Amino acid sequence: MMDESEVMKIFEEVAGALLNPHIDQWKKQGKKVIGYNCSYFPEEIALAADMITFKIRGTGCTETSLADSFLGRTNCSFTRSSLENLLQGRYDFLDGAIFTYSCDHMCAAHNNWAAQGKLPLIENIIGVPHTQTEHGRKWIKEEFSKIKEKFEEHFDVKITDDKLREAITTSNETHSLQKRLYALRNKDQPPITGSQVLSVQVAESSMPRDEYNRQLKTLLEELENKDGVPEFSHRLMVSGSVIDDPAMLNIIEETGAMVVADAFCFGAGKALRDPIKEKDDPLDAIVEKYYSQIICPRMFDGYPERLSFMLDVAKQANVEGLVLQNIFNCDLHGIDNVMLETDFEENGIPVLILEREYNLLADAGRIRTRVQAFLEQIRR
Amino acid sequence: MIVAGCDVGSLSAEAVILNNESIVAYDIIRVRPRPEQSAEDVMGTALSKSGLSYDDIDFCVSTGYGRENIPFAQGNVSEISCHGKGAQWLIPSVRTIIDVGGQDCKAITVDENGDLVNFLMNDKCASGTGRFLEGVSKTLGISLEELAALSLKGEKELLITSVCSVFAETEALSLINEGETLSDVAAGISLAMAKRINSLVKRIGIKNDVCFTGGVAKNPGVVKAIEKILDVNVINLPEDPQIIGALGAALFARERAA
Repeated sequence: MMDESEVMKIFEEVAGALLNPHIDQWKKQGKKVIGYNCSYFPEEIALAADMITFKIRGTGCTETSLADSFLGRTNCSFTRSSLENLLQGRYDFLDGAIFTYSCDHMCAAHNNWAAQGKLPLIENIIGVPHTQTEHGRKWIKEEFSKIKEKFEEHFDVKITDDKLREAITTSNETHSLQKRLYALRNKDQPPITGSQVLSVQVAESSMPRDEYNRQLKTLLEELENKDGVPEFSHRLMVSGSVIDDPAMLNIIEETGAMVVADAFCFGAGKALRDPIKEKDDPLDAIVEKYYSQIICPRMFDGYPERLSFMLDVAKQANVEGLVLQNIFNCDLHGIDNVMLETDFEENGIPVLILEREYNLLADAGRIRTRVQAFLEQIRR
Repeated sequence: MIVAGCDVGSLSAEAVILNNESIVAYDIIRVRPRPEQSAEDVMGTALSKSGLSYDDIDFCVSTGYGRENIPFAQGNVSEISCHGKGAQWLIPSVRTIIDVGGQDCKAITVDENGDLVNFLMNDKCASGTGRFLEGVSKTLGISLEELAALSLKGEKELLITSVCSVFAETEALSLINEGETLSDVAAGISLAMAKRINSLVKRIGIKNDVCFTGGVAKNPGVVKAIEKILDVNVINLPEDPQIIGALGAALFARERAA
């Protein structure tokens, strides 16, 4: 589709596998990698302890025969695929893992990750309230403090306020770079495809952060001076359940459309967050980011904000259609998508609801047919 | 202008050759192991029936699950749009099309030009598809035609409750073992099919007129059950319902060639 830059290739390689040379190199220096499952994990605490924060993925999992012994078919295939990766030893490079209670599927997955006893700290789960209240804010701060203490104890490090502030600066830099990347997608002819953007986003949590920020800066300098893709049929937005596999967006883009916007957790859910504002207590600042800002239907009272965020993203990117996908049995996004469908269509943006399995091998043909028909429907 | 449409599905492949406003020839075959082979075989027979050759075709559009691998097609359109286009061309008043093919089942709504307004497809399940009927007829040891004929004779409304086609087959066998007649079981199967289709069509909303396309539309037992369950009058198509996808593709070929 377009010339591949060297730095883009790095991001694609990192997103295409779990383990990569950057992690290998990091581990050889005796440094640690901590796994986490969900956007509610306060990565600044691990960054302050000089770790790679690795967001758990299902990458590379083509079947879930081992995981199916532990999780039922009613659990979403993303949680089964990532558990399969654990059971197959593909997460042996992690020095520990912490889960947050994001949804019931993830909680069931956590029980099984913990029962395997393979990874330090996995017995901990961060309880995140489903509603925003003053009490909840205190609760989540306590949860974050406890996790900080566990880190200090297990890895024998001291996470000082100054280190937390440094980590906040680093993670703010990531967000501001990603924001620049997302702004490029709003152009009439974006210089980067949706599947490439996803590779960049996924790579964030699979590389040393400073290196990621440096490489992303290089990529942005290239892209900001590059011509965009001249020909594509439609500008699409994609949202819904977790997508960590750029191939998913590639299937959509193979129909001739371009994914110019998104609102799922690996994508805009990270990229378009506001930077963390400085507070006297850096932990308060971190709580603010995780408790008030994440656009996820696991928060029961967050629909109006989520809708308005998504409509803003859609309008800025001038999208002609929205693909609302959800992994089978992902009830949070399944229900959210029904409401979003109505509200987006009322705002004049056609919607395709797409149910799918996490593993794309079985689903590529089905997805392609539906997306193609959707484009034929909105072409008029 | 001579145009062609080729529909390579999961169980059967169809080709339609269109000369201006009339269907010159068509053919239907069981699919071969590879889509391009199915396409070449079915188009080959349609061409020989019409006395034409590939060179006479001004434009060809492919559709169906194999649509991306057809060497002689100049473009491809999804089978969803094609069924809508083909059915509305044959009966201009049609706005809702139920298509039940070998591996999926679709509810499609179109406008007065046959262009797609909305659609829904069942997801990854043989229940309510042609493959389900094939499985059941094999289990009962009768042909698809016999299953259809028997279904019309059924007097009781036997319940087949399973939504899974494999379990539904077992359920049909249990009913036979309990002494129910083949015709009542066959009628129960048609009813079960209609109920699966009903849930899809109700979600999209029925707009009259309604027609039924795809291989399963050739089963009068299922047509009767659909009319009953959906409480609609299914308009009879003047052509074989199995060629509507290919016909729609030919109509898109005509639009694109113009």
